[in-house]
Amino acid sequence: MKLHLALRWIVFAFVALIMNFPVIATFITALKSPSEISRNPSLVVDSPTLENFVTVLTVSDRLNVYHYLWNSFSAATIGAILPMLVAFPMAWVMVRRGYGRALLFPLIVNLRALPLIIFAVPLYLMFSVAYLLDTRIGLGLVLAIVNLPLTLMLLVNAVAEIPIELEEAAHMDGARLPRLIGRVVLPLCRPAFITTFVFGFITAWNEFLFGLILTTQRAVPMTVGASFFFATSGGGVQWGVAAAVMVVAALPPLILGLVMYRRISGSMVSGAVKG
Amino acid sequence: MRLSSSQENAVLASPVVLFLLALLGFPVVLSVVYGFSEANFQALMSPTFVGLENFHLVLNDIGFWNAAWFSLRFAVITAFLECALGLFLAVYLAPLIRNHGWMVAVLIIPMIVAPAMMGLMYRLVLHEFAGPIPFYFYQWFGWSPSFLSAKTVFQTIIVVETLQWTPFAFLLFMAAYQAIPQEIREAASVDGTRPWRMFWKIELPQMLPTLFVAGFIRFIDGFRVFDNIYTLVGAGPGGSTTSMSIYIYETFLRRGEIGKAMAAAILLFLVAFLVLALGQYLMRRSQ
Amino acid sequence: MTISRMLICSAALSVLSAGAAQAEVTVLGWPGGPEEEALRAVAEIYNAKSDVAEEDKVELLFTSRDGFFDKLQVDLAAGSNAFDANLIATYSIGRYAPYMEPITLSGEASAVFGDTVLSTMQFDGAQYGVPTDLSLHFLYYRSDLIDALMADDAAKARYGDISEEYLGVRLEPKNPDEWTWQDFVANALYFSQSVNPDSPTRYGTVIQMKNLLFNMMVFHSWPRSFGANWMDDAGNITVDSEAYRNALETVKMLYDAGATPADSTSYEYAEANAAYSAGQVAAMVQWNAAAGELKGAQAETKTVAPPTGPEARFTHIHGLGLGLNAAAENKDGARAFLDWLSTEEAALAYARSGGAPGLAGETVVKLAEERPDLVQVGDYASNYGFVMNGGTSENALSVYEAQAKEFTGYWAGTQSLDDAMSNISATMNELLK
Repeated sequence: MKLHLALRWIVFAFVALIMNFPVIATFITALKSPSEISRNPSLVVDSPTLENFVTVLTVSDRLNVYHYLWNSFSAATIGAILPMLVAFPMAWVMVRRGYGRALLFPLIVNLRALPLIIFAVPLYLMFSVAYLLDTRIGLGLVLAIVNLPLTLMLLVNAVAEIPIELEEAAHMDGARLPRLIGRVVLPLCRPAFITTFVFGFITAWNEFLFGLILTTQRAVPMTVGASFFFATSGGGVQWGVAAAVMVVAALPPLILGLVMYRRISGSMVSGAVKG
Repeated sequence: MRLSSSQENAVLASPVVLFLLALLGFPVVLSVVYGFSEANFQALMSPTFVGLENFHLVLNDIGFWNAAWFSLRFAVITAFLECALGLFLAVYLAPLIRNHGWMVAVLIIPMIVAPAMMGLMYRLVLHEFAGPIPFYFYQWFGWSPSFLSAKTVFQTIIVVETLQWTPFAFLLFMAAYQAIPQEIREAASVDGTRPWRMFWKIELPQMLPTLFVAGFIRFIDGFRVFDNIYTLVGAGPGGSTTSMSIYIYETFLRRGEIGKAMAAAILLFLVAFLVLALGQYLMRRSQ
Repeated sequence: MTISRMLICSAALSVLSAGAAQAEVTVLGWPGGPEEEALRAVAEIYNAKSDVAEEDKVELLFTSRDGFFDKLQVDLAAGSNAFDANLIATYSIGRYAPYMEPITLSGEASAVFGDTVLSTMQFDGAQYGVPTDLSLHFLYYRSDLIDALMADDAAKARYGDISEEYLGVRLEPKNPDEWTWQDFVANALYFSQSVNPDSPTRYGTVIQMKNLLFNMMVFHSWPRSFGANWMDDAGNITVDSEAYRNALETVKMLYDAGATPADSTSYEYAEANAAYSAGQVAAMVQWNAAAGELKGAQAETKTVAPPTGPEARFTHIHGLGLGLNAAAENKDGARAFLDWLSTEEAALAYARSGGAPGLAGETVVKLAEERPDLVQVGDYASNYGFVMNGGTSENALSVYEAQAKEFTGYWAGTQSLDDAMSNISATMNELLK
């Protein structure tokens, strides 16, 4: 039995190392000076330095990392919450009444299969008329479209998981529909909301192409801002600074994911089992 | 005032419908118009109607079929590997995870990193002279595989995608595994069922619906893969790593053939719609 | 309802901070690197001038280098007025000309830049931009390795054996400024451990073979020196030629022989430089912009023009420059800035701040002390520089992209040379008709 347990630990350590290897290597690279990077590709740093992080965090004349982080944070928050607000009533009415199951549901879910960037031109034209170009709200709205399919899928599954008896009991007590949904269904879907938010936020945070095309100055998100740093010295990639900016850019969603993982895993049961 | 049930349905569905109409109504209409027109960036506002010519062009383009075949192979292989590996980890590590929740956090890190950044990270990690993996290969074995050469690039991107998204499948399976009622297992172990048989006959059937969901989501995501491949190897030598998304993206922005790109997207959407509708139909029938 | 409160908060904050002040002439430049630094420096000089009105001062805008041209395409096509002047490049003038307006340069321009360089910013006979930077290729080599080879008779004999085996001719090592492409190939083979296990470097050269349009530009100097062109003067596509076939075959031979890393098919600028910087490569053809990086990493690095061929010695050139957005809000202000940018004063300041303008005659002499590399660039550009027929046309960018796809496919072995040739001929006929 002891042996078995040890073997499980070994498997875990091995898998964790392999899967996280690029992340680990990137973090280590960020601690190397430029001259050491070209000399020493190993994972042992001869003379660790925070120089790269300092560069990323203090450059302010041409690039402002805090500005990008804030843009990403606000756009990703909108992009994660808005689809939940609009999709939740839809999820209920589809599960309980079969409304929209034939057309609307597959229509929305299939948006996930499309490279949405094909809508870049019409969206750009719309946004320029509506003064949404280069704004965090505009970017957030587009990210909300990106997130809508998975949000709807997860919420539909969550509603389907709620025992119908609970709703029937509330109905018997004379609860009207808004009360039923607001007081009975909504609280029961809380875990699914958390999962959906975490996934939506991460997806929105990581989006690049819309962020590139729909912003120029005021609403540039972190993923696009990060690529400015790659070119800080010439056309090539300056790996040390690039690694440092990747670490900084990945930190907010990473913190969110690591704080929330318990709840994600818990709510996944209700979120996914009844496909 | 009391709404009738069908009015209620309409009211509840209206937020998502209005949201879609407001944001995608115009883009979809314009895209469909482009799909049936000779359209390019010079004449965004004055597309000329050409009927089905773009569809004809796309269907006769070997590049389109190559991209479809690439995406299909990529999606099937990665979805299978991710589900198999995720299932194994969820079940095999379950006894540890029960007492050490932090292990989950360690295992889901890859899926939180932006795929485009992941691609960039591998560009460094796999580089023959600057990357640690070939470095250690040379140090220990005096030789290193060429991970991104023409012969190995397909396997490499499969591995890259699998390593990043196995955590997603793992997370779903872990939850499903924990959700199996303990009584079922206890009843089985009273009957003297061996662990392997227990998994095969009792636990796996319980997790089958999750397996479908995970497989489906990973299949779609594998099919539309873009960022990590594009930053790591681009469209590949001779276009050999051109996924459907890369094909549409390059046709649209790089070559400026808007009509053709839209036609390809419309075809893709129709096929995806049919597949999903068929899947739903089969699922309902089996229930 | 904390969720909706969060939403409202972030929405309100977005609105509040959206109205940042705008300068009056906005210039969209090439982000990162010496081009950005140099543009910042000249903009500062311009803004400090007393005769530049407050509303005509220049503000700079930079966006991502990744996808820069994709974004520019959408911005321009949609009639964006977010910038008044924007970056253009020789190979993309044709694509963006419909959204731009021709400009006039200062009277000094033709003396400062010379007509070859000015022509890199022309399309359909009109001047669309002020040239800022000029890009061409150098042959970079490790002089320590070549010197050691030339001083060693046994090594010379080995060099002769290898060239005889692979090329059918017995060659002597030569000084790189006398190299033909054949010498380049022999040298690449000699310094590769797969061919010559005693080689001090793992690879003789590194060729960037990723499916990427810029890699085609680096490759083009080679077939050109064998007489290759995209089309003849009558407009017939001439890509399927002995010149192209020969160069393509030789590159594949080098790849298959292991004279360039097996991963080369996914290498671009950064990877190739990293390979050279690691000291495992003897010689390579690379952009002039890499000079600082490569010489910094390998001190014995020297630069000469790319090797010569039966026709002559050539280097592919293209220019970067700034032009006028047709949808600009402050056209007069932008014109004034562009006009000034084409004066000698601006060009000298640009060069002194790290830019790489292609400068002619008397102007470049003034910089000979500070920027000897610019003398070399100007010299190579005027003597060896070329642009393919059709290289500034509307679809030039697409031609490079199609070539990248077909040629890399041949190198990687996914298609035959004949297929690659017939595919690219068909595509170029379509694109350049």
